[in-house]
Amino acid sequence: MPDSKSDVLQGTLDLMILKTLESMGALHGYGIARRIEQVSSDTLSLNQGTIYPALLRLEQRKWIKAEWGTSDTGRRAKFYSLTRIGRKQIAAEEENWSRIVETMARFLSPSN
Amino acid sequence: MDWFRELLSRCTAVLRRGRLDDDLEHEVESHIELAIEENMGRGMTRAQARTAALRVFGGVTQVKESYRAQRGVPFVISFGRDLRYAVRRLRSSPAFTTVAIVTLALGIGANTAIFTLVEGFLLRSLPVSDPARLYRIGDRNTCCYYDNFESPDGDFDMFSYELFQRLRQAAPEFEQLAAVQAGGGGYSVQYASAAPRPLRYEFVSGNYFSTLGVGAYLGRPLGESDDHPGAPPVLVLSYAAWETEFGRDPAIVGATVYVQRHPFTVAGVAPPGFFGDRIASIPPDFWMPLSAEIEIEGQNAAVTQKTTAWLYALGRLRPGTEIPVLEGKLSAVVRQWMLQWPAFTAHGGSKTIPRQHVVLARAGGGIQKLQQQSGANLRMLMILSCVVLLIACANIASLLLARSTAQRTDVAVRMALGAARFTIIRQIMTESLLLSVAGGLAGLGVAWFGAHAILTLAYPEAHHMPLKADPSWPVLGFAFLVSLLTGVVFSTAPAWASSHAQPAEALRGTNTASRDRSSLPQRMLVILQLAMSVILLSSTFLLTRSLMNLEHQNFGIETTRRYTFDVDLQGAGYSFDRVPSLYRQVEERLGALPGITNVSFARYIPLGGNQWGTCVSLQGQSEQGPEDKCFSDWDRVSAQFLDSLSVPIVRGRGFTARDNDSSLPVAVVNQAFVRKFFPGQDPIGKHFGREGAKYSSTYEIVGVFADFVLTDPRAEPRSLFLLPSTQRFTGYREPESDAAEKSSMFLNSVILKVVGSSPDVEMPVRKALAEIDPSLPIFRFVSYDSVVAGNFNQERLIARLTSAFGFLSLILASVGLYGVMSYIVARRTSEIGIRMAIGASRALIVRMVVRGALVQLCLGLALGVPASLFMGRLMTSLLFHVRGSDPRALAGAAAVLGVCAAVAALVPALRAASLDPVRALRTE
Repeated sequence: MPDSKSDVLQGTLDLMILKTLESMGALHGYGIARRIEQVSSDTLSLNQGTIYPALLRLEQRKWIKAEWGTSDTGRRAKFYSLTRIGRKQIAAEEENWSRIVETMARFLSPSN
Repeated sequence: MDWFRELLSRCTAVLRRGRLDDDLEHEVESHIELAIEENMGRGMTRAQARTAALRVFGGVTQVKESYRAQRGVPFVISFGRDLRYAVRRLRSSPAFTTVAIVTLALGIGANTAIFTLVEGFLLRSLPVSDPARLYRIGDRNTCCYYDNFESPDGDFDMFSYELFQRLRQAAPEFEQLAAVQAGGGGYSVQYASAAPRPLRYEFVSGNYFSTLGVGAYLGRPLGESDDHPGAPPVLVLSYAAWETEFGRDPAIVGATVYVQRHPFTVAGVAPPGFFGDRIASIPPDFWMPLSAEIEIEGQNAAVTQKTTAWLYALGRLRPGTEIPVLEGKLSAVVRQWMLQWPAFTAHGGSKTIPRQHVVLARAGGGIQKLQQQSGANLRMLMILSCVVLLIACANIASLLLARSTAQRTDVAVRMALGAARFTIIRQIMTESLLLSVAGGLAGLGVAWFGAHAILTLAYPEAHHMPLKADPSWPVLGFAFLVSLLTGVVFSTAPAWASSHAQPAEALRGTNTASRDRSSLPQRMLVILQLAMSVILLSSTFLLTRSLMNLEHQNFGIETTRRYTFDVDLQGAGYSFDRVPSLYRQVEERLGALPGITNVSFARYIPLGGNQWGTCVSLQGQSEQGPEDKCFSDWDRVSAQFLDSLSVPIVRGRGFTARDNDSSLPVAVVNQAFVRKFFPGQDPIGKHFGREGAKYSSTYEIVGVFADFVLTDPRAEPRSLFLLPSTQRFTGYREPESDAAEKSSMFLNSVILKVVGSSPDVEMPVRKALAEIDPSLPIFRFVSYDSVVAGNFNQERLIARLTSAFGFLSLILASVGLYGVMSYIVARRTSEIGIRMAIGASRALIVRMVVRGALVQLCLGLALGVPASLFMGRLMTSLLFHVRGSDPRALAGAAAVLGVCAAVAALVPALRAASLDPVRALRTE
C-alpha cells in the first residue's frame, strides 16, 4: 500500500478540509470534495473517497462534528462543521504548514 | 490529548461496528447520488453520470477499508479475524482438533485434580484466626491412650491431663495452650423424641475455641468455666452436624440432649467451615469439655488418670518466641514430671527418662494426621500426573509439528500471495492458543470430576469431610497457566518452521524425501513419550502387584460368607453385668435364623481398624521395665469367635460356656504370643496377667490358635491373647484397673457366618434383634469382605489411578508412534516406489519401516528403564512384598509397550508394502 505518499497528502488534506469548513460553514462530504477541487482549480487530482478517512480522523480528534441533514436538492447527507477545538486548531495547523512550505522553498530555491 | 481522544473514539467504535458500517454505507451512497445529480445537471445521461461519479470517487471498497482501519483498533480487529480464521481451520479438521483437545484435557485435568487435593491436604490452613502462630507440642501421631514412654527415641507427643496442666503453667510463651483428644470415637446422642444416633465426639479443654480464635454461629462456644469437675455438662455442635443431623433446628441451643444417656446442654453451634483441629475423613460432630469425660466414663475416665496420656497440646505462640529454647524448657518439664511417677521410674525406667523430649511443630495446617498418612501417596500421584502431562505435551507438540508440515504448501501459497511472515506466525499461534484454552477448559471439567471421584473412592466412609474437591482460584490459575504455556511453547517451533518455508520450493512440490531430517523432532518426541510410558507402565505393574499382594495375602481368617455389624451397648443403657446374658440371647436367637450357622461377639474384629494393647507380665517374672518388650495385643471375644472366622486351634482348647465368673480365668493366645513369651516351651498351663507383676498369675493359657492379622495388613501378625466374654476378673484392687476391666466387657461387634449365598441376612437379623431389645442401635451392617477391602481403599485408588495414567500414556505414545511412522512412510512414498521397482520385496519394505520404529522403541526403553528404576526407589515405602526394581515390572512394561509399538508401526509398514510401485513413483 502506498502509505508514504498519502501521509504527506493527509496533513495537507486535513488543513484543506478545515479551511473549507471555516469559509463555507457546515458542508457535506461531496460539497467539501467539490470545493477542494474548485479551489485547487483541478490541479490536484484527488480521489473524492479519500476525504472520508480524513474526515473521520478529524472527527475522532473532535476538531469537526458531523450531523445528518438534508442537502439543497432535498437529499439526505452527513454535514460536517467545525467545533471550538477545531477552530483553535486551524491557526496551529496553518503555522505548521507555513513552516513546511518555507522549508521546502529553501530546498527548492536556485541558490541552494 | 488528540491521540487520546482518537483512541477513545476508536475503542467505542469497535463496539458499534455494525451501526457505523451502515452509516458509512449511507454516506458513500449519498455522496455518489449528489455527484450524479450534479453530473446530470451538466447534461449527462444517468448512466454516464454514475460512471463519472464513481471514477472521481475512487475505489469504493478501498475507501471503506481505509475508513475502517482509521475507525477501529487494528490489533483487536486483526485478533478477532485471526480467531475466526483459527476456529474455521480447527473445524475443518475435526479429528486433529478432538485429539488435541482431549489430550490436553486429560493431561491438564489429571494434574489439576491431583493438585487440588495436594492443596487441600498439604497446603491449606485451618479456618481459624491467624493460623501461622499455632504450634503443637509434639510432632508424631501417637494414639489414642498410652501409659508409658511413647517412642524408643524418647519423642513424647501425647500427654496426660496432669502433664498438660504442668506444661501450660510452665510455658507463658503460649498465649493460650489447649488440649485436644488424640483419638475420639462415636457416642450415641439422643435429642427430643428422635431415635439415638451415633455421632463423633472429641473432648477438648475449655479454652479450645478461644485458643483457635473461633466463636460460635449460634449460642456460645465452650469456655474455661465449662471445664472443671462438677460444671454442668455442655457440648458444642459442629455446623455440619447441626445442619444434617438436627435439620438446622435453632431451638436445640440451650436444649438438653442425651449423650450415652447422660444429659448435656447444647451451648452452641460452631461456625460453618470450622471442622476442628485436623483434617479427618470423619471430623467431630460435637465437642465436649475434658471434665465431661467423667460424666460419661465415670471411674474409667482418662482425664482423672494421672499418667494416662491421651491429649495433644495445641497453642498460640507469642510473637518472637525462640522455638528451640521453648522445646528445651518443655522437655525439662516433661522429664521432671516423669521422675515422680513409678510408671516411668520403676524397673529401669529412670534410665530412659533423660532421653525424653518434646518437639514443637507448626499446627497452622492442623494436626497432621491424615496428611502424614496420605501425603506420600499424593506426592507420588503428583509425580505420575506430571509425567502424564509431559506425555500429553509431547503429543500436542508432535501433532502441531505434523500439522505444520502438512500445511506447508498452504502457507507457501499465502506467502507467495504476499502474506507477511509475522501474520503467518500470529495466525498459527492464535490457533494453538485457542486449542490450549479449549483443552484447558475441558481439563477443568476432567479435574472437577476427577478430584470428586478420587475423594469418594479414597474415603468411602467420609462424612462431612472438610476437604473440598472444587479447584480453588490458585489451582485454576495454575491450570490456566499450564494450558497457555503448553499452547505457546509447543506452537512456537512449528510456527517458526513453517513461516520460514521457501515458497518456491514448497510450491514445486518437493514433498517427498528419502532420509530427510525434517521428522527428527517428532521422532525425538516419540522417544520421550515411549520413555515416560515405561515409567507409568512399570509403576502400574508395581502398584497393582502390591495391591494384589496386600488383598490376597493369607490373613489367617476366612472372610467370605461372613457379615458383621456393630451395636452400641452402652448407648442403649446396658451395664457390664447385664451384657453376658444379652450375648447369649443374641447368639441363640440369631443362630436359629435360617442360613446363619455361627454368631459371635468381639470387642474388636480383625481388620476392622481398631485394637487394644497392654504390657503382659508372666508369672514368676520380675516387674517389666520400659526397656522390656512386654507389649501384646488383646481382645475380648465370645466362645464362637475363632470358629466364626475359621481360625484353627493348634493346641489345647478354645473357650467354652464353662469359662465363666465362677471358674478360673483363662486365656487363649496366638502362635506369635508363644514365640514371643514362651519360646521353645509348652505354653499350655502357663500363667500371665495384665496391670503389673502382682497380677501375673491372673490368666491360665488353655489353648493356642493360629496367627491371623488383627490390624496392620502390612506387618507380620503380632502377639495376641483373647479373653472370654463370659468371664470378668474381679481381683483388681485399683479402681481404674477394675473400671477398665468392666468397660472391656462391652463387645460391640457381631460376626455372622452364613451358609451358601444368603443375600438378605440383614432384614431378618434386624428384626430378630428388635424383638430382643428395640432400643439397641445397629450400625454398619456389611459383609466381612468389604471390611477387609476397606483396609486397602487408598492402595486400590492409587493402583487404579496409576493404571489409568499408564493406559493413557500407552495410548498417547502409540498414537504418537503411529503418527510419526505414517508420516515417514508418506514422505518416502516415491523412494519406496523406486526400491520396489528395482526389486525390493514387500517383506523387505515392512522390515525397513518396522526397523525404524524399533530403533525408537529401543531408545525409549533405554531412557525409560533407568527412570523407572528411580521411580521404583521413590515408591518403595508404598509397596508390599514387591521390590521397586522388580524385573517383572520392567519386563511387563517393555512387553506391553513393544506390542503396542509393533502394531503402531506395522500398520503404516503394511501400507507402504502394499503400494503400487508405478503409482508410488508418480506421487508428487
